[in-house]
Amino acid sequence: MIPALRLAVVLAAALLAGATQAQMTDATAIVEAANKASYYAGDDGRSAARMMIVDGNGNRQRRQFTLLRQDVEDGGDQRYLVVFSRPADIRGTVFRVEKQVGESDDRWLYLPALDLVKRIAAGDKRTSFVGSHFYYEDISGRGTSEDRHSLIETTDEAYIIESTPRDPATVEFARYRTRIDRDTLLPMRTEYERADGEVYRRMEVTEVETIDGYPTGTETRMTDLDSGGYTVTQFRYSEYDIGVPADIFSERSLRNPPRDWLRRD
Amino acid sequence: MGRQIASLAMHHPRLVFLATLLLTVIGTALIPLIEIDTDPENMLPADQADRVRHNAIKEQFNLHDMIVVGVVNEQRDEGVFNPRSLGAVHTLSDAVAEIDGVIRRDLLSLATVDNITQAGPGTLRFEWMMNTPPQTQAEANRIREATLDLPLFRDTLISGDGEATALYVPIESKDQSHRIAGEIEALIAGLDSGDEYHITGLPVAEDTFGVEMFIQMAISAPLAALVIFALMWGFFRSVTLVVAPMLMAFAVVLTTMGALIGMGYTVHIMSSMIPIFLMPIAVVDSVHIISEFADRYRPERGARETMKAVMGHLFKPMLYTSITSGIGFASLAFTPIPPVQVFGLFVGAGIVLAFVLTIVFIPAYVVCLKPERLAAMQAAGRQRDPEHTPLARGLQGLGGLALRHAKWVVSGFAIAIIVAGYGISQITVNDNPIRWFQPDHRIRVADRVLNEHFAGTYSAYLRLESDVAEDAPERLRETADSILDDAAQDDVALREAWERMRASARADSETFEAELEALGSDLSDRLFSADEAAIPYWESLLTAVDEARGALNYFQRPEVLGYMADFEAALVEAPEVGKVNSLTHLVRTVYRELRSGEPADYQIPESRRGVAQTLLSFQGSHRPHDLWRMVTQDYQAANLWLQLSSGDNQDMQAVVERAEAYVAENPLPEGVTMSWGGLNYINVVWQDAMVKGMAQSLAIAWVMVAVMMLALFRSLRFGLLAMVPMTVSIALIYGVIGLIGKPYDMPIAVLSSLTLGLSVDFAIHFIERSREAYRRTGRFLQSMRSVLGEPARAISRNAIVIAVGFTPLLAAPLVPYNTVGIFLASIMAASALASIVLLPALLSLGRSRLMPDVAPLTDESTEERS
Repeated sequence: MIPALRLAVVLAAALLAGATQAQMTDATAIVEAANKASYYAGDDGRSAARMMIVDGNGNRQRRQFTLLRQDVEDGGDQRYLVVFSRPADIRGTVFRVEKQVGESDDRWLYLPALDLVKRIAAGDKRTSFVGSHFYYEDISGRGTSEDRHSLIETTDEAYIIESTPRDPATVEFARYRTRIDRDTLLPMRTEYERADGEVYRRMEVTEVETIDGYPTGTETRMTDLDSGGYTVTQFRYSEYDIGVPADIFSERSLRNPPRDWLRRD
Repeated sequence: MGRQIASLAMHHPRLVFLATLLLTVIGTALIPLIEIDTDPENMLPADQADRVRHNAIKEQFNLHDMIVVGVVNEQRDEGVFNPRSLGAVHTLSDAVAEIDGVIRRDLLSLATVDNITQAGPGTLRFEWMMNTPPQTQAEANRIREATLDLPLFRDTLISGDGEATALYVPIESKDQSHRIAGEIEALIAGLDSGDEYHITGLPVAEDTFGVEMFIQMAISAPLAALVIFALMWGFFRSVTLVVAPMLMAFAVVLTTMGALIGMGYTVHIMSSMIPIFLMPIAVVDSVHIISEFADRYRPERGARETMKAVMGHLFKPMLYTSITSGIGFASLAFTPIPPVQVFGLFVGAGIVLAFVLTIVFIPAYVVCLKPERLAAMQAAGRQRDPEHTPLARGLQGLGGLALRHAKWVVSGFAIAIIVAGYGISQITVNDNPIRWFQPDHRIRVADRVLNEHFAGTYSAYLRLESDVAEDAPERLRETADSILDDAAQDDVALREAWERMRASARADSETFEAELEALGSDLSDRLFSADEAAIPYWESLLTAVDEARGALNYFQRPEVLGYMADFEAALVEAPEVGKVNSLTHLVRTVYRELRSGEPADYQIPESRRGVAQTLLSFQGSHRPHDLWRMVTQDYQAANLWLQLSSGDNQDMQAVVERAEAYVAENPLPEGVTMSWGGLNYINVVWQDAMVKGMAQSLAIAWVMVAVMMLALFRSLRFGLLAMVPMTVSIALIYGVIGLIGKPYDMPIAVLSSLTLGLSVDFAIHFIERSREAYRRTGRFLQSMRSVLGEPARAISRNAIVIAVGFTPLLAAPLVPYNTVGIFLASIMAASALASIVLLPALLSLGRSRLMPDVAPLTDESTEERS
């Protein structure tokens, strides 16, 4: 669940060349390529995230965490470890996620002050990520098969995809529209609509850098248009293919975070 | 003076008519700009401290006024927790969220809230409480159990007996609540679930009141006009004569309302009563004029001369009565409540306008009548012989009785005053906007049903604020200094780098919290590049910064939350408080579920970090922003939402007192202050201001009127005597209010000025005419007989006109109007009686000083005219 915002992450191997893609015409293929570009760059990755959560009245909260990711299978299952460092009162709080495509994720939470490990069974993945305007699903990626996708427009720069949920009862949106960059295949803007067509939620990638050859969204913003609140997340010190061992993503790491792997070089 | 003005008006009737018409047209033209205001907040000036704080609290905690929709099913054992009913609730909730003006994200219903529960050992489950409507009874039962299990929802979203549910619909602004409530009703009508739906909440009550106020103005005011017309016709039997004061009254009402609206004042519950107040008051002077004119008119003398005589005679008492009535109302300007001030000043101005129009318009009108009509009128009047009507005989009889048994009468009144004094001491000050509606009004019914089932549909907010941030920068500086000194002793020079770091963090931050966070980030970064020797000191500094930051999160401290929890438990003991919702419930509930889910774990975590991490877990829900209704994002202020089952100001007052008593026994944590917000609290504040303000305004008006009486009668004795009937009437009326237990509310409060302004009129006329008769006759009893004739009739007629003129208020759909109607009639009766009975009795007791017989007894009758 947790990992880097879609932008946070990486670009699909296919894009490595960085060459302009041939025009794609199949909506599902575009969405799958975008999913890989956003969430599956390299075999693993690490990133230091800073989040600023701003509500409609301008009140701000901040969060800082390190994100470790390992792909079990490219485009498939993944493991995540999210370790919080700030605010200081939540330092050492850890989320561990085993993302399972086609099934609900396994999530664990470690709260150091209570010395408590708890498995979290969420009814859905569209709950807030630590009080921000991002949902868990925005961070770990929404299964591409959960929606029907159609390519409604292809411009010089982007594919515009409209997606509608296969099971409307599990989500709060009626549809969403994604603008996918034709070069990087990163989704640069996603707008969620209600049944009457009103856009109430918008995700934008506001900065992209190419890191280790992978175009990476390094700053992204989620806006709640109802309240005027938004969250900006910056990803710094992103690295890919660092060779994280699989046993880092275990329950042991919750109580004893793998310092060496969390520290940036 | 009166003769000259009347004469001038009678010479230029067209000019008078034209001017009156012009004034009326301008006034009427402004009326469509009307803006209705039923917001009780406006009972306080916009910059009043409590009101400012109320709004600050609302903004600080994202609080909105709420419409409460309750769903009840008395027919089924499981109440509304069955698939069909919950399906309807789900449908309604979805549709309500779509209504314009509803704050969707804060809508509270089973369909919009989260459930947090245990899902097997070591597993915590977060999910929507009712994402889709239940298909089976078992699923409905599960929803019931889950909701009952969450303290923040029990008695709020679900009734304690598990049979009813409620939706709390937050709205953007109160003035939309009537429309939104209407749309919700339309949605409910389409549900067909067999459940009872009730809509209530203060904003609905207030806004609905505004709508019904229009009905009142559209029905009661014209009805009053009709009643007054009929009455006057009954007195004078001449449509021609009676039409004049009616036209004049319309002119006064339309001009006054036009001026009020045109000057940009909103029409509040008080000012909506202006037409019905002015209508009868505007015609009273005319009643005196017409009364006398009809009695005195003889064709051979001519209308012009008769009118001149009448006006010469009545000008002074009319001038004084108008000014005193005007003062009575205008004195309301001394209350600290803007709508009451506006009401008083405009009624006062309307009375003065009525006087001016009366002395020019009525003579101008009468002189334009054809002599034949006047003759016919006079002939009609003749047939009825004004001296021998039942009213005339009754008045003579009553006056005679008072004169013969003066001691008894005075003693009777004295005893009544003593009883009234006791009654006044029993007065309870109270108001409740819901009670503005009749008991069978659907809002009252909803209020009753929902407050039986739930913790309460009325909200008050108790805010606790900490000043922990005040000396935080100083504390950090001291800690940092000592670390830097230690480092310096170790030959590690950090001070310069530290100061630079602080300066740059400060430059980038708006708040000290943000500065600390920036500083913390910089320090962590610094640790990567620091010299080996410096690292321990940088780490100490980082710890100090983090600790300083954490310490600012005041309402995460377990001991503070513990205090709050105890305080809340004490508040809930109060019968008026149904429930308190706060951060302590949220923290304890989430902590319970993080642990075992068992009641034993319904605790506040032992450390501040434990609280912080518990709250972080909560923030992974569908509605993390709910937290910010209970605590500010800097954790330096907390909000206790008190659900009260009654909207009575008295009950709110009791809660405030209980809170103060608790805090006196158990002092707030150091640096914490307590303050109140919420509509119910605002009501208490203005009510308090009103009681004090009314006493003051009454005292000021009384003195002003007394001074005028001295000026009018140029006699201390007669001046004070004139104050007696009015003072007695006010005492009696408020005594009765206290004795019957009628709460002293806003409409009752303004009655005092009304009494003051109107009942002194009767005394003025009575005394002025008595003295005139006495000057003529030189004998007391003859003077009395004379004054108990035509003047007493005019006084009684006026009392009747006003009393009956207000009775259409009884037909109004709203209780405050009914109250005013009933009490006005009583006041008129009391003060007319006090004038006609008490004054002769008092004069009789003091006749040797006031009106000693100086002339020999003659046969002079009351018909004798000067």
